[in-house]
Amino acid sequence: MTPLLAVEDLSVTFARNGLLSRLINPFPLPSFNVIDGVTLSLMPGETLGLVGESGSGKTTLARTILGLVRAAAGRIVFEGREVRTPADFRAMRRRSAMMFQDPVASLSPRLRIGTLLTEPRIIQGVPMPDRRAAARALLALVGLPASFVDRFPHELSGGQARRVGVARALAMKPHLLLADEPTAGLDVSVQGDVLNLIGELQRELGFAAMIVTHNLAMIRHVSDRLAIMYLGRLVETGPTRDVFAAPMHPYTATLIQSEPVPDPRRRSRNPAVTGEIPSVFRRPSGCEFHTRCPIARDRCKTEAPACRPMGADRMVRCHFPLETGGQEREAFSRASANQRGN
Amino acid sequence: MSGSLAASDLSVRYETPHGAVHALRHVDIEAHPGEVIGIVGESGCGKSTLVTALANLLPANARIEGSICYNGVDLAKLDADRQRLLRGDEIALVSQDPMTAFNPVLTIGDQLVDFQHHRKDLGRAQKRSRIAAMLDRVGIADAERRMDCYPHELSGGMRQRVAIAAALLTDPGLLIADEPTTALDVTMEAQIIHLLRELRREYNGIIIVVSHHLGVIAELCDRVYVMYAGEVVEGGEVDAIFHDARHPYTQALLACDPARFHERLERLPTIPGTPPNLTLPPSGCVYAPRCDRAFAPCVSVAPPLVKLSTSHVARCHAVTP
Ligand SMILES: Nc1ncnc2c1ncn2[C@@H]1O[C@H](COP(=O)(O)OP(=O)(O)OP(=O)(O)O)[C@@H](O)[C@H]1O
Ligand SMILES: Nc1ncnc2c1ncn2[C@@H]1O[C@H](COP(=O)(O)OP(=O)(O)OP(=O)(O)O)[C@@H](O)[C@H]1O
Ligand code: SF4
Ligand code: SF4
Ligand SMILES: [Mg+2]
Ligand SMILES: [Mg+2]
Repeated sequence: MTPLLAVEDLSVTFARNGLLSRLINPFPLPSFNVIDGVTLSLMPGETLGLVGESGSGKTTLARTILGLVRAAAGRIVFEGREVRTPADFRAMRRRSAMMFQDPVASLSPRLRIGTLLTEPRIIQGVPMPDRRAAARALLALVGLPASFVDRFPHELSGGQARRVGVARALAMKPHLLLADEPTAGLDVSVQGDVLNLIGELQRELGFAAMIVTHNLAMIRHVSDRLAIMYLGRLVETGPTRDVFAAPMHPYTATLIQSEPVPDPRRRSRNPAVTGEIPSVFRRPSGCEFHTRCPIARDRCKTEAPACRPMGADRMVRCHFPLETGGQEREAFSRASANQRGN
Repeated sequence: MSGSLAASDLSVRYETPHGAVHALRHVDIEAHPGEVIGIVGESGCGKSTLVTALANLLPANARIEGSICYNGVDLAKLDADRQRLLRGDEIALVSQDPMTAFNPVLTIGDQLVDFQHHRKDLGRAQKRSRIAAMLDRVGIADAERRMDCYPHELSGGMRQRVAIAAALLTDPGLLIADEPTTALDVTMEAQIIHLLRELRREYNGIIIVVSHHLGVIAELCDRVYVMYAGEVVEGGEVDAIFHDARHPYTQALLACDPARFHERLERLPTIPGTPPNLTLPPSGCVYAPRCDRAFAPCVSVAPPLVKLSTSHVARCHAVTP
């Protein structure tokens, strides 16, 4: 089967300074890679979870895939055809839907919810004899009262705005859904509703989804595969179940271990890792996780690890992956033993 | 200066062309120095309304009733200037939507300097070095350079951390954080939780945290208020809420947390039904249409707040002490 979406060796570069400082400073400073050599693919109907550090480039990756940010290098292939020109990206965007991270800010403040919900389809040229009825049906789909058609975005709570975002995205009947933190700010019950809804529509319409999130408890239930990102590079990919059962990259293992547990009797004593997140302005040498990695060795400081295939559908970018029964896994458990009390 | 906070019989409604939205109804909460208070509840149940009312930042179409006392002073009885002064210096709110907290055309360094306008004793250079130190504590590397960034040049989670740093720079007696960790990965979330715990020890102020993440509440808070449809339906020590929840809504909410399930679920658990329309709040129990334990009086008679122990309360006809 050919993938619906394939991203090959994608890199994105931002200029180091804004326009103003470039005008003031005639000597351009070097630019930096926000996304560096990302390769991933998405099968029709599949759900990929993209998890990573804040600022690691997840939103930028999603925006680049849709052509909203220009790639410096690499290829994007959608439904078997390379996407290159602005016209290609426009065609791809017509078959895709994006749910943005910032729900209120992504809705135009001057438009009423009813208009916001139906506008994308009108722009696509879908005939809609009764816009209000269509909007009310979409609101019902995401569990909001019909009276919301006349409200403005600022009159909604954070969670209500996010549900409007889901309704807007799914109204497009997309082939590909890119959802950036689709349930951040929702209570667990509404989060369940939103994800069950996406799942149902996905089974019905067969679209593929990439869900960007920080929420591990949620993503383990809704994704087939996981990609873990750190400072603009993928550090581990694999089937969700396998990654959770036995994380191989120390960053992935740290993430899983740091998750707050909903039980006050099992509070963590110490954060599993401390230290600041390094910045893309100044990438650490060697492996970029070495400044926080509990099992870093000398080699990690100088030599950047390459992507290592681990079995058919698994990749890890680490010199000392945590293999089951291996001494690295033991060293990792020892290093982080004191973290949670109970 | 830090003191206790008490809101009594607090109600807020929003005036809209389609009628008033009764977003908060007869809410009582209290918080004491050194406490971390958690607020949880359904999306749209009035959590942000409550904390924005505490910080005096409600929008113009909001009407407020009831009283908010801080440090023994009824804030409503102060004149507007003194209110603003007290709230500006003593009460800091990290809002849910960090993008809206910043001015898009100023660098974050300049904005954080302005946040310290009450510190007349500090020069600009000193203010900048306090900022660098605070950014460092919230895990922003390369703080000196980040100060020259504009808000849109930061990722969502970085903006959230800068907003937390901004609030802490004012040395507030009452720090309110609305969803402080939603945009952060769990390692950063854990670091922020530990930072807030340390701060609580250091400065003996009050911290109020609104979060949908039950794990964050369990890790961080001493006491928890559970809200539903504009009312506080249960309140108590964090251990009582997580291990001895008595209100049917609290029980249902805890049961929906996907963190409780390790094997992949085909469908995530949810609470069937939708919350009531807040333009016409029901006369009986607000949770009755969704409650699996509802019985005759629930639909017509508003349930009383039942005292289950010295600190544990629940608003339900079916609970007994
Ligand atoms: N327009 C821009 N100009 C310069 N730098 C930018 C711009 N947009 C993003 N960046 C930088 O690119 C990096 C990645 O940002 P991005 O928003 O993709 O992160 P993210 O993984 O989505 O983070 P989060 O989880 O916090 O949302 C950050 O260091 C950010 O500061
Ligand atoms: N300015 C406004 N005008 C009219 N109604 C409003 C306004 N702001 C909020 N509301 C309504 O008041 C209710 C409470 O909103 P609030 O933002 O306090 O909820 P919340 O508990 O913080 O929700 P979330 O968890 O989704 O952030 C919601 O039903 C919302 O639609
Ligand atoms: S390469 Fe070294 S520093 Fe990097 S994750 Fe692996 S063990 Fe840790
Ligand atoms: S008062 Fe009745 S309807 Fe309300 S929560 Fe209690 S049992 Fe359920
Ligand atoms: Mg992002
Ligand atoms: Mg809110």
